[in-house]
Amino acid sequence: MAGKVKWVTDIEKSVLINNFEKRGWVQVTENEDWNFYWMSVQTIRNVFSVETGYRLSDDQIVNHFPNHYELTRKDLMVKNIKRYRKELEKEGSPLAEKDENGKYLYLDFVPVTYMLPADYNLFVEEFRKSPSSTWIMKPCGKAQGKGIFLINKLSQIKKWSRDSKTSSFVSQSNKEAYVISLYINNPLLIGGRKFDLRLYVLVSTYRPLRCYMYKLGFCRFCTVKYTPSTSELDNMFVHLTNVAIQKHGDDYNHIHGGKWMVSNLRLYLESTRGKEVTSKLFDEIHWIIVQSLKAVAVNASPSLTSSTANDRILKYNLINDTLNIVVPNGEIPDCKWNKSPPKEVLGNYEILYDEELAQGDGADRELRSRQGQSQGPRAGRSRDSGRTVLTTWK
Amino acid sequence: MLQEESDLSLIIAQIVQKLKGSNLYSQLERQAWASLQRPEIKLESLKEDIKEFFKISGWEKKLQNAVYSELSVFPLPSHPAAPPEHLKEPLVYMRKAQGSWEKRILKSLNSMCTELSIPLARKRPVGEQKELLNKWNEMGTDEPDLSLFRPVYAPKDFLEVLINLRNPNYENGDSLSFRTHLGLIQIPLKVKDIPELKECFVELGLNTGQLGIDDSTQVPPELFENEHVRIGQKVLAEQDSAAAQQYIRQGSPTALRAELWALILNISSEPEDVLYYEQLKTNVIQHDLLVDSLIYKDVKLTASNDDYYFVFEDYLYQVLLCFSRDTSVLSHFAYNSASPPKSYIRGKLGLEEYAVFYPPNGVIPFHGFSMYVAPLCFLYHEPSKLYQIFREMYVRFFFRLHSISSHPSGIVSLCLLFETLLQTYLPQLFYHLREIGAQPLRISFKWMVRAFSGYLATDQLLLLWDRILGYNSLEILAVLAAAVFAFRAVNLMEVTSLAAAEAVLADLSTLKVMPLLQIFLFATVT
Repeated sequence: MAGKVKWVTDIEKSVLINNFEKRGWVQVTENEDWNFYWMSVQTIRNVFSVETGYRLSDDQIVNHFPNHYELTRKDLMVKNIKRYRKELEKEGSPLAEKDENGKYLYLDFVPVTYMLPADYNLFVEEFRKSPSSTWIMKPCGKAQGKGIFLINKLSQIKKWSRDSKTSSFVSQSNKEAYVISLYINNPLLIGGRKFDLRLYVLVSTYRPLRCYMYKLGFCRFCTVKYTPSTSELDNMFVHLTNVAIQKHGDDYNHIHGGKWMVSNLRLYLESTRGKEVTSKLFDEIHWIIVQSLKAVAVNASPSLTSSTANDRILKYNLINDTLNIVVPNGEIPDCKWNKSPPKEVLGNYEILYDEELAQGDGADRELRSRQGQSQGPRAGRSRDSGRTVLTTWK
Repeated sequence: MLQEESDLSLIIAQIVQKLKGSNLYSQLERQAWASLQRPEIKLESLKEDIKEFFKISGWEKKLQNAVYSELSVFPLPSHPAAPPEHLKEPLVYMRKAQGSWEKRILKSLNSMCTELSIPLARKRPVGEQKELLNKWNEMGTDEPDLSLFRPVYAPKDFLEVLINLRNPNYENGDSLSFRTHLGLIQIPLKVKDIPELKECFVELGLNTGQLGIDDSTQVPPELFENEHVRIGQKVLAEQDSAAAQQYIRQGSPTALRAELWALILNISSEPEDVLYYEQLKTNVIQHDLLVDSLIYKDVKLTASNDDYYFVFEDYLYQVLLCFSRDTSVLSHFAYNSASPPKSYIRGKLGLEEYAVFYPPNGVIPFHGFSMYVAPLCFLYHEPSKLYQIFREMYVRFFFRLHSISSHPSGIVSLCLLFETLLQTYLPQLFYHLREIGAQPLRISFKWMVRAFSGYLATDQLLLLWDRILGYNSLEILAVLAAAVFAFRAVNLMEVTSLAAAEAVLADLSTLKVMPLLQIFLFATVT
């Protein structure tokens, strides 16, 4: 049964195709027998929609889980996290513990969020409690910063009010839905600029949950200095870090693209804020990722468009490492594969969470080490998983 | 022994003189007066009691650090009767060469000035002052037209000057012997060989733990790293400059580095220092200097395009513009072979009473100058502290990288050290590169002039600069440059042109500095 992996893709990007070709895999069309299909989001939707009833055979792999949009779409993500938290609470899981103000101790990582127009009234109630706060409106189904804007007055979102006579949003179709969240207007600034993190996480299986984080994630900086001043609420160059937006700014630089490797962030934070705080930060980031995955699914399509030369190299290597993990040794896929891949093939990925390994130690350990930093031999760096720290709750 | 004693007392006298004018002195005086109230201070044993008090309260330590700081910078006096030029540079031909180089730079600056009809300095109109004040934190977004400005000089221009440097008292002779130096520098200065370097950099040896090697993932932290961090914390608690300098030879933990460097450089942010910085900022707001445009241009050409440092662009303006106006920097010219350029008030050429130093700090920036500041932004985010640290780094180390002198850490010696190491220990490689018209110094010069900033990954660069501070010397730059060539020797042996050699050495961002140094110094057969 030895043969070359047969691949299909409907995304014409060199970082993908070069990786397939260098492995000597054979390109086929989607109507033929294929083993590996790197699908665009549209194709996924069609393939897994109820009508087509398409079933993958045992030797086929695709690049998205059917329920990926559970985390892509902002409203579904929020719903999933809220539901996940309630479930844990019902089970009496210690992870769902709250403090005396009713705030989750370990699961408080989403700012106050409402769905519009569905939760409009709830939102208004909350808004009136702190009328000077700023909120951010994001369309549920869009990406790359499209359609996002900030508000600080109720009048700015009158359109979404359900009983508004001027409302033209009669249809509650998915496309018009928005989420509105409390805007965090004191973000960490570096060089006076706001930035966000672009991290790559690979989920190879859901049950048991096995996910990997790419070590070479990056920060995306705004080109303009951050200011919480209300006069600049409309200036998207200040508030939104998406490259698709920033690259139209006057100061966009094509050499580095406003991107910084996460290792730089780590060095900067350790140097200026100390090691404990920095390690805690990265721990919590990893925690959020794993909890979100557990609350269900995966972001649809990271951009495979490369904005700078360095970017192209990064994405090529990323796809390379990804393929090494999910199609080990270039063997024809087999759904019965269940082994954790050996350390050598991880490349620049590191294990974020391996449920099988974790369950061997018992779920209690997970919580115990969340509560206290220094507890016995488990505290401190976990040496076998690489430099950037996944310490205490493996 | 009498000579040594009198040398020592001379040094002591000079340091005391220097410190008497310092802030520390008035603080100590105040403390001494205040201590008279304390019960343990008795009139009969006043001197001893006050000394004891100073020791316990930590003031003695501060004084110790200040003295140590002076010693690090102070040139050793050669002879009590030596004229001040000797302190700057003992060799006449070097002084002359530096003088003519300076004339050239100034001429270039003046002609740019005339061509563009821009005054060297002008007072800003009030409206412009206000605008600049508003934009102080984001000068990077300013888009002045810099197309007509060019850097006053680039490292390669400086290299040409060094290549042509000759000692008129030295006869090279026409016959080639094994002693002939095949490199570009033809100056007979004494440089260390590997056995001497091993002695000098003994803490980098194979049997000593290093950060940059022994903190890698494969090594359990119990073996070295944890203990090293603990010692570092202790050193900081003791606030001992000398101990810090010794400690940092094995590298600094990232979390402690900012404080350790400040301790070694004897920088403490007193309110007076912040005030001084604010004063400089006011100067920037009120007056516009021609060099400001040079600084802008440099930052835009270098740091703004750098993957690591672009984030800190605005800090660079805030530091460098103030630096140009800081007249306290002028004092370092006492031991710098360079002299600050003099300019005369219009119409009063040659009249000393109308002479001013231009720029006020006497330092004309060249292409790449801003890269001296950029790495420091990873450590300090408070502008006045960042400023102080940079200024001290400049007057202790960086100035030596672009002035002509015979000092062992001066760029001439570094070039010679680099070439000699290569010729002595990698003769085949050296000869090959020379044959194909790729003199190694032509490639490594820019690394050394910039102290490798912008060429190495930042974490590696900081480990390297740890050692510069630890050994109070720049020689490690030359050693690293040679080690890089040694590392890529196999590829370099196959190239057949300068361009190809440049390509092999174009990307140093993946290099790990400490293993390279260690292997080159301690694991190469000599």
